[in-house]
Amino acid sequence: MMKLQTKLALFNLLSKLVFSALFLGFLPLIIERINTHQTDNELINKREEVIDLISEVGIEPFITSGTDGDFGSYNILKEEFISLERSDLAEDWNFIEVTQRLIDDEAIVYRVLHYSLKIDGQTYLLEIGKSLSSITYAARNIRRVILIFLSIFIATTLLSDLFYTARILRPLRIITGRLKETSSPSFVNAEPVITSTEDFIQLDRTLREMMRKIEDLFRKEKEITVNISHELMTPVSVLRSKLENMLLQENIDPYLEAGIEESLRTLHRLKTLVNSLLMIARIESRQYLREETVNLGLLLNEVVEELAPIAEDAGVSITLDCNSKFSFSKANRSLLFSMFYNVVNNAVKNTPESGRIEIGGEESEGRFKVSVCDTGSGMSKEQLDKLFSRFSTRLDPQGDSTGIGLAITKSIADFHDVAVRVLSEPGNGTQFFFFFPVNSL
Amino acid sequence: MNVLIVEDEKSLANEIAAWLKKESFLCDVAYTGRDASEKIAVNLYDFVLLDLGLPDYDGLDLIREARKSSIDVSFIIITARGAVEDRVKGLDLGADDYLPKPFALAELQSRIMAVARRKFQITSPDITLGEFIMEIQARRLKHNGREVEITRKEFDLLHYLVINHNKVLARHQLYEHIWGNTLDDQYDSNFIDVHIKNLRKKLNAHAPSPWLETVRGVGYRVTTDR
Repeated sequence: MMKLQTKLALFNLLSKLVFSALFLGFLPLIIERINTHQTDNELINKREEVIDLISEVGIEPFITSGTDGDFGSYNILKEEFISLERSDLAEDWNFIEVTQRLIDDEAIVYRVLHYSLKIDGQTYLLEIGKSLSSITYAARNIRRVILIFLSIFIATTLLSDLFYTARILRPLRIITGRLKETSSPSFVNAEPVITSTEDFIQLDRTLREMMRKIEDLFRKEKEITVNISHELMTPVSVLRSKLENMLLQENIDPYLEAGIEESLRTLHRLKTLVNSLLMIARIESRQYLREETVNLGLLLNEVVEELAPIAEDAGVSITLDCNSKFSFSKANRSLLFSMFYNVVNNAVKNTPESGRIEIGGEESEGRFKVSVCDTGSGMSKEQLDKLFSRFSTRLDPQGDSTGIGLAITKSIADFHDVAVRVLSEPGNGTQFFFFFPVNSL
Repeated sequence: MNVLIVEDEKSLANEIAAWLKKESFLCDVAYTGRDASEKIAVNLYDFVLLDLGLPDYDGLDLIREARKSSIDVSFIIITARGAVEDRVKGLDLGADDYLPKPFALAELQSRIMAVARRKFQITSPDITLGEFIMEIQARRLKHNGREVEITRKEFDLLHYLVINHNKVLARHQLYEHIWGNTLDDQYDSNFIDVHIKNLRKKLNAHAPSPWLETVRGVGYRVTTDR
């Protein structure tokens, strides 16, 4: 995983290095070609000068009529020479080659121009040479200068690349920062990101548009739950009040009274069911706030206190073992209470007399783990699979509950990013595990 | 006490009024927000039972209006909307209580009484239950001057039965009162039986408690001579 900025800078650096390496690799060849070309031009120019000079003053001043009758001229460092001598060459010479000359017992490699010229029936050979060491020396110098220049160039462009990419990628950082901060679409900063990069403007616009749509969906869902609640609960409320007023009549017929009571009980079940379904819908459309910090040990203690009389009556013991001071932030306390309450209550209902329920809380592998283990009847694999789906939990012997409690537990856990695991076997009890995310430790 | 019932569902408004009249409240009914707004401005009420889902008015605006004109009236919000933030918003605006529909009329009455006690600083008189004395203010139950150790829930249960004395309260009504709506789904008739059983055990260790009756198949009742 690498940041875009680093990637861009690395790519730029690499491409420059490759280019520079190629350039440096071919440099000697290029320099040699240029040098050879230039040297040859120089040699040819010198030849023309010499020929001009001869045609001006004649050959005599250069050729003494001595025995040897040769002319030779070197500069002091033997970098160049010119020689003119009589020759009995049959063919015409006009070419350049590299040869070695022995001068004062020193072998020097020259690039030499050979040129034959005829004056008054006599053939003369003109040779003009330039030492190769002077040529390669110049090439080395050029290479050094280029190397230094390239290093400086790469270093400065690397820095400027880093700086520039950091600058142009700033909007991207702003956008991701905003997305990270928000827990719900309605809190997304609506201000457009300021940038001259078309791509970021589009990214920003697309994201904001998407958030607006999601927010719209949430709002609609909220409206729907409010409307459903109103439409369903109003008639239930009317019925309930009517029935309750009927019960106030004096000397009411016992048969009638029992019937009204039963109707009220049924109405209560209906209300409970609708409320549970609406609660799940509200949790899933994130209508509950998550603004509290909850000490889980204290919360579990409350749950246990709440259920202790019921458990005691059923002959079931509940123990709580949680010494940790772990507090879970960004939570909704009453929802978390319901989450644990449903599970512990379920355990009480499904554990026979003289059974045990053990509740524990501990930090484990960087997470906070709450476990609720009972010695109850346990569940088969099929029951386990359907445990959190609505209306398919274990049948309640009294038939009071709607069987939706564990579905609520699951949606509350999801709402808080709490992972839930359940282990169970028929006859071997059930173990619930809740894993709270580490960031609130 | 004067109560204005603001509720667009006429039959519900009338049922509430019927119950409260039997309990010696003076009741007025408004079926629309406009009507309610006028009535609140003109008449002196102790309580407004306010439905938030009015067709012509945002119910919360009625609270705002009343607060603006410094009308000293207690609002109890009754709503079927069930929106999470309604409760917070309503209480923030200065509503005295919030009761989601469908509620028990007995519960509504007990909420009104609780707000009235706070508002008028009424000290509730001690109540005699057989050989026991219930000190409402101190939340204590005494027998022969000695305190009977009962839990908070047991006290609340007994208190609710005492407020509604001589009326049978069904188990689900008692459950609703004690556990509210948060634990709705976990309603278990057994819960109330267990708590009443424990309460009886504690009472009977001191003296018999025939005034706490079980009404077969229905629920429980506290009978007093009053």
